[in-house]
Amino acid sequence: MDYVTEIQSSLASERGRSKRLSRAELREARWGYAFIGLWLVGFLAFYLLPMAASLVFSFLDLDLLNPSRSTFVGLENWRRLLFEDPLVWQSLRVTFVFAAISLPIGMVSALFLAVLLNSADLIGRNLFRTLFYAPTMVPVVAGILIWSGVLNPATGWINQLIQWATGLQVANPNGIRWLDDARIIYLTYTMIGIWGIGNAILYNLAALQGVPSELYEAAKIDGASWFRRLRSIMLPMISPVIFYNLVLSFVGLMQYFQVPYVLNGGNGYPEGTTFFYLIHFYRQSFQFLDMGYGSAIAWLLFVIALAITATLFATAKHWVYYAGERR
Amino acid sequence: MRKLTAALVLLTVLAMASAQTEIRWFVGLGAGSDEPQFEAQQAIVDAYNASQNDIRLVLEIVENTQANDILATQIAAGNAPDIVGPVGIRGRSNFPGAWRDLSDLIAAADYDLSDFDPALVDFYKMEGQGQIGLPFAVFPSFITYNKTLFDEAGAAYPPSSYGDPYVSADGEVLPWNLDTLRDLAMFLTVDANGNDATMDAFDPNAVIQWGFMVQMTDLRGALTLFGPGNFVDADGNAVIPEHWATGAQWIHDAMWKDYFWPNGPYAASDLITWSPFQSGNLAMAQTHLWYQTCCMFDLQDEWGVAPMPAAFDGSITAKLHADTFVITEASRNPEAAFDVLTYLLSPEIAPQLTTIYGGMPARLSLQGDYLEGMFAQAWPNRDVDIAVIADSLLYPDSPNHEEGMPANRQAQDLYIAFDQRLQNTPAFDVAGELEALRAELQLLFDSAR
Repeated sequence: MDYVTEIQSSLASERGRSKRLSRAELREARWGYAFIGLWLVGFLAFYLLPMAASLVFSFLDLDLLNPSRSTFVGLENWRRLLFEDPLVWQSLRVTFVFAAISLPIGMVSALFLAVLLNSADLIGRNLFRTLFYAPTMVPVVAGILIWSGVLNPATGWINQLIQWATGLQVANPNGIRWLDDARIIYLTYTMIGIWGIGNAILYNLAALQGVPSELYEAAKIDGASWFRRLRSIMLPMISPVIFYNLVLSFVGLMQYFQVPYVLNGGNGYPEGTTFFYLIHFYRQSFQFLDMGYGSAIAWLLFVIALAITATLFATAKHWVYYAGERR
Repeated sequence: MRKLTAALVLLTVLAMASAQTEIRWFVGLGAGSDEPQFEAQQAIVDAYNASQNDIRLVLEIVENTQANDILATQIAAGNAPDIVGPVGIRGRSNFPGAWRDLSDLIAAADYDLSDFDPALVDFYKMEGQGQIGLPFAVFPSFITYNKTLFDEAGAAYPPSSYGDPYVSADGEVLPWNLDTLRDLAMFLTVDANGNDATMDAFDPNAVIQWGFMVQMTDLRGALTLFGPGNFVDADGNAVIPEHWATGAQWIHDAMWKDYFWPNGPYAASDLITWSPFQSGNLAMAQTHLWYQTCCMFDLQDEWGVAPMPAAFDGSITAKLHADTFVITEASRNPEAAFDVLTYLLSPEIAPQLTTIYGGMPARLSLQGDYLEGMFAQAWPNRDVDIAVIADSLLYPDSPNHEEGMPANRQAQDLYIAFDQRLQNTPAFDVAGELEALRAELQLLFDSAR
């Protein structure tokens, strides 16, 4: 038997084995299905079926108070959504503008803090790691209410601090209006968001710790600068986590709701700048009780988020590096 | 054998429990969602459950600001409670069609309505919906003032009965109206340097005490200070009543020019807190009777009550809250729910509940010296002018400030947003913005026709 024939025979034998599982492999497979089976049941019952139901709802005139009196209205909700409701486009614009500001700032901040917290030169590293992660454990609504106090123009700490540090008279009703001034509202909301980026920091930190130190050492010996090591080693090596954070942050921003809802009941104040898309969905569905139209709003969000996420995945092959990946 | 006996007992108890009809009582749309009231309500539920074996009453209390959304979601999910209450006019208006017509249940039980004012019974008869509730409690409003702050400022107290003038510390006799209220409120507004709002040296950027506000209400509630009204006329068109337009300007001036009414930034600060009068930094507030039993027990200062001042046209309005209990249309056990409802409204239980919620019972037989008893229990050793509170019932707002409108929730959203801008914008074109609000409301009302 020549060498090629031997390899072909070996591969054929491998393929034959994959068709017929051993008893141990069967047992393992059964356990595997048992474990994911529970999740699948949950996925079907709490995600897939409600999603399918909401798609059906989007073709109904469905009043939440009287679901039994629903009527089929065809594409009426979709027509209203796409051609008649200016708030849809306003809320989408608000959401994307905020995402364009908040996403890069949040991503860079989380990475920057992770690099700092990973530094061997940082004194009290564990303490700082705990402190930066701690806000994540504060209930979101409580955190937002605390922020509304901190940002109060007359009595909030931030304006008091600025006044104390600069001497500028900003701690009064006419001072810096963090939550009332349309020009700075997205920066304010981003600031509130950054307070809770503990999870993103944690992911980045874990990724940074997974980069083999030999790579840095070899680069150092070759004379690579700190910036070069960052660009050529660290960023590529942690790019899967950056990608993961990017996708999660983007999807999270598409569903941005709690901060504007808690702070102003979701009425868009100031000047409509906080009328996010999910606020529009929530008001239509659960405040105005128009669940049919609300379902159409939700589905449009799903389609947009899916398209953008798919685009992000398509770009991933150009900049995300998976060690050991077979192409 | 012991284990067998225990199992049998357990099974028997479980069987008895499952044989009971469960009735869920939802609290949150009106009074009752403040923590000090929880225990007393639960005690009433426990007493009911102990009194019979057919029905098991379950109390569900939710936070007032979230109650609308939670109830809507429960109804939508087919998980509606059986009884909702106490619920005010706004709460009822927000759920058109969600409440059951009680007429057949009243007739079937031959329920005696003779102890209620017939006009009040009719108050709960809604067009197209029937008799959705029975009278339970009313909550008149009046001025509550901080005597300690008045004494510190050397100001004379407001009059102690309707029709009396205001006699200043100098002995000047003035009509008790909005002009007098404004002057007095400015005198009681103080900055960090001790200057009051009538002085040239007063610093509006450092206010620490305010003179007056209509608290814990929305724009319609605040504007009722100038007379009753609504944003919709009899033909279903959007309107801004003239006296409300004047009132909106007066309120904006009070916040940003005269400084005696906490503006947006101050109202959201820890100087005022969620319960403004209780902060001890507010000299006068228009409050409803429920406030005295829910939200001012932390106030150490001396306080009193006074009549509402006359508006610019000389009329007096003391806006009124009226609460009831309703049965949801979706209730699977309306008969059992009606049994519970009549228990809650009974002459034995109603006064206990009204004491918890701080309301005057709607039952005529219970009104007598009810207020004296309530205040003796809630505020022993306080000399409260009960007559002012009772007399405030003579000046109710009609139409009520919580009256429904077409597309009620959306309409509320529009004027709440207007109010937020009014409170937070120093340079606010009140007249122009009101016209814009009217136009927006008109569009909404047209689309809801």
